Amino acid sequence: MRSTRRIDRYGPLLAAGLGAAIIAYIAFFAPPEPQAPRWDGAGSTEPQHGGTFVFHHESVIRTFDPAIAYDELSSMGIRLLFDGLLDYDEETRLVPSLVEAMPTQSEDGKTFTFRLRRGVEFHCGGELTADDVLFTMERMLGPDTSSPGYVFYANITGVDEYRAGESAHIRGIRVVDDRTIEFALDEPDQTFLNAMAMPFAYPLPRSHYENPTVDVRTTACGTGPFTLDPDDWEHGVQAVFERNQNYWNAPLPYVDRMIYQENLTRDVATMRFRNGDLDAVHRFSPADYIFLRNAPAWQPYIDEHPKANLWGVGMNTQMAPFDNVHVRRAVAFVVDREAWKRQRSNRLMPTGQPLPRGFMGYREDLEGAHYTDLDRAREEMALAGHPVHRDGDRWVAEGLEDTEIEFWVGEGDTGRQYGEMAQADLAKIGLRISIKQVSFPVYLEESGKPGRVPLLLTGWNMDFPDPANFLDVLFNTSSISEQNSNNRTFYSNPIVDDLLDRARIEQDITARERMYVEAQELIVADAPWAFMWSDLTMEAWQPYVRGYHPSPVYSMDYRDLWLDLPKRRMQARHGTDLQPRHRLSGLLPFGGNL
Amino acid sequence: MGSRIGAFFFSDPRALRRFRKNRGATAGLALVVLVTLTAVVGPLLAPHSPEEQNLEELLHDNGLPIAPGENPAHPLGADTLGRDELSRLLHGGAVSMQVALFATALAVFIGLSIGIISGYFGGAVDMFAMRGVDILLSLPFLLIVIAIQRVVDRPELWTLFLLLGLLSWTTLARVTRAKTMQVRELEYVQAARALGMSRRRILLRHVLPNVMGPAIVIGTTLVAQMIIVESAMSFLGFGVQPPNASWGSMLREGQQYLSHAPRLVLYPGLLIMATVFGFNLLGEGLRDALDPKD
Repeated sequence: MRSTRRIDRYGPLLAAGLGAAIIAYIAFFAPPEPQAPRWDGAGSTEPQHGGTFVFHHESVIRTFDPAIAYDELSSMGIRLLFDGLLDYDEETRLVPSLVEAMPTQSEDGKTFTFRLRRGVEFHCGGELTADDVLFTMERMLGPDTSSPGYVFYANITGVDEYRAGESAHIRGIRVVDDRTIEFALDEPDQTFLNAMAMPFAYPLPRSHYENPTVDVRTTACGTGPFTLDPDDWEHGVQAVFERNQNYWNAPLPYVDRMIYQENLTRDVATMRFRNGDLDAVHRFSPADYIFLRNAPAWQPYIDEHPKANLWGVGMNTQMAPFDNVHVRRAVAFVVDREAWKRQRSNRLMPTGQPLPRGFMGYREDLEGAHYTDLDRAREEMALAGHPVHRDGDRWVAEGLEDTEIEFWVGEGDTGRQYGEMAQADLAKIGLRISIKQVSFPVYLEESGKPGRVPLLLTGWNMDFPDPANFLDVLFNTSSISEQNSNNRTFYSNPIVDDLLDRARIEQDITARERMYVEAQELIVADAPWAFMWSDLTMEAWQPYVRGYHPSPVYSMDYRDLWLDLPKRRMQARHGTDLQPRHRLSGLLPFGGNL
Repeated sequence: MGSRIGAFFFSDPRALRRFRKNRGATAGLALVVLVTLTAVVGPLLAPHSPEEQNLEELLHDNGLPIAPGENPAHPLGADTLGRDELSRLLHGGAVSMQVALFATALAVFIGLSIGIISGYFGGAVDMFAMRGVDILLSLPFLLIVIAIQRVVDRPELWTLFLLLGLLSWTTLARVTRAKTMQVRELEYVQAARALGMSRRRILLRHVLPNVMGPAIVIGTTLVAQMIIVESAMSFLGFGVQPPNASWGSMLREGQQYLSHAPRLVLYPGLLIMATVFGFNLLGEGLRDALDPKD
């Protein structure tokens, strides 16, 4: 018997019609995404107080504990919550912050005396004293903390004994009086003051951080312009920072509240930004990047600049097959830097050495610098004892036919795309890799332990403008520990260590530079990384966000900006800037231009 | 439909006639045959390797993939990593269909067995089996699949279809059980039992053919569901692993480029829609044909 009800007979037809109608509606009538900023500022010229600033990152924040945190996400929050004894101005010169003046240095260059500012209050009560600074240093350098910052302070007298548990205090740090503290070094160190400006040394109150009932990973008590109530941090979602009413550096900060949204993928973040729901964005999918870079109305609110950072494929030098230098070199020669650059819309600046352009020790023609050369890569595989031959449509490396190597990348589409490009490149020398996408905290945690992660996409942002910040952190044996290693390839070469240790304290600039060049040459030859690129980075903010200039040292340092309120809806003057393309044109052959 | 196959599915010749007259059902069947064929033969027809990246030629200078028609060798253009879109769609379809068909086969097998045993024997067996069904039905399906795939060290295709199969037999078991209880009381089954026919023979010869109808209908709609679940899982990143493609993972890969290259989302999206639509139409038609009383 045939179904007689009309709905049965015409149901499918109706459903199909409805589907077509919805698609047609989206294609022809739905409003296009905004092409220009939706909100403008009120037009004041003087900084205003008040308002809420909303920003984001694509990953999850691990902690705001300055002794442990050493990544971009955490430092964006730490810069709001804490201050250093020293800070940087816009020209990357060191300037006093929690100290009254730049520290005095003894004649032999080995002793520094810091005089603390009066009346600086911690968020959780109490005034900043020299004892708090002492506590901060001893906590950070103590054997229990396993801070990745250790390498920067190794030159303070007595640190090694203290770290080994042989002494109760660090001999080289002396509290002179309540507001005066003195640091004695084994050798005059070129980077000591830079180190004292790093978040590792941001003063913490003894009362809070020594209290065993306080979870220091999820709380924060500093002197900074904003405060964080632990209840206002919904992990993985957002952290809300409130204005510090007792901030020592009044009238800063200008903004009442800062909302740090975590875990927003790039495309979602940009969509919210274009809708006016986010106040600043800093990472883009290629499509969003191309849009913002070309939309005339956005140009005044965009900044694009080369970033002092480094990216590459890291290879764990203690794990097979990367314990063989020839395999590592083969990888360094096989990764196709130009192709990756194109896929990322030309936002990568290919390189083949550990130091970014412009750093002391960078050489355009560095001997042995990595470049892309497939034949050379296959030669290295042969030297490694894994000659490569073709088998059908694949390349196979002898002895590694059944080896699958885990390649660790960050989460999100970008991580996956890097993973897939590396997969395709390494397949050309017969290395089979599987992509392991993990959240950022897991990535940091696991890759900091020896013997865990064989292959990883790894990068480094500058903390201070000195080659030591790249070479010591990433390639010195002293950056290896049981946890929180920053030398994530566990690369260890005594000659390199010796050069780096001597270069750090060398007073003669020319000699220092020579040592760094030499160290670079040894590192590229050993190839713990396939050195690949520095970023060309873009940031965008809303027209009503004022007083924000990307810092040359800190990523997305939002602490001093102000909001030009009330917001006004942007006039239609930008309406014709970009004709919305017909939505269906991309679906049709020849782009619909038939 | 060939008469022998027809005879297998439609023990009642009137059912075949009913099915043929149902326009929606025949359209559904056509769609299903088309998609299944694509899934089986597609990978052989694919003009390029679905994994081969050509970032130099198949991406514009600004990093966006070439559009359909810009390069005659790549009629549907390229994806975000410079891979041939057509080949990926063909291979991706095969993956989606494989997962859906295997998972459904597994689910039908488990559901039928448990349903028949539970319905025929009743008692404690029935109690136990049906409470199991209750528990499974009370779990949020997608969440459980995601949770388990997450725990598995390296999620692969076969873990996915195993999971989907193991978790989606419940409705089928319930329907089969009800039908079995009904069939068990029929005179010829009673007679067979009285004549001393073995249990196995009764179950296979008399009960099974009678419960096949609803099983086929539910199985067909289950395929549609599985395709959607597989797409959802791959979209969320728990399905096929790169560089392999499935329609779901292609949706995900294209979403970032929605404003500049909406086709990357639309092609796999339309294919998923058409396939699911086809299976649902076919399922409805089969139900109308096999079980007009319901």
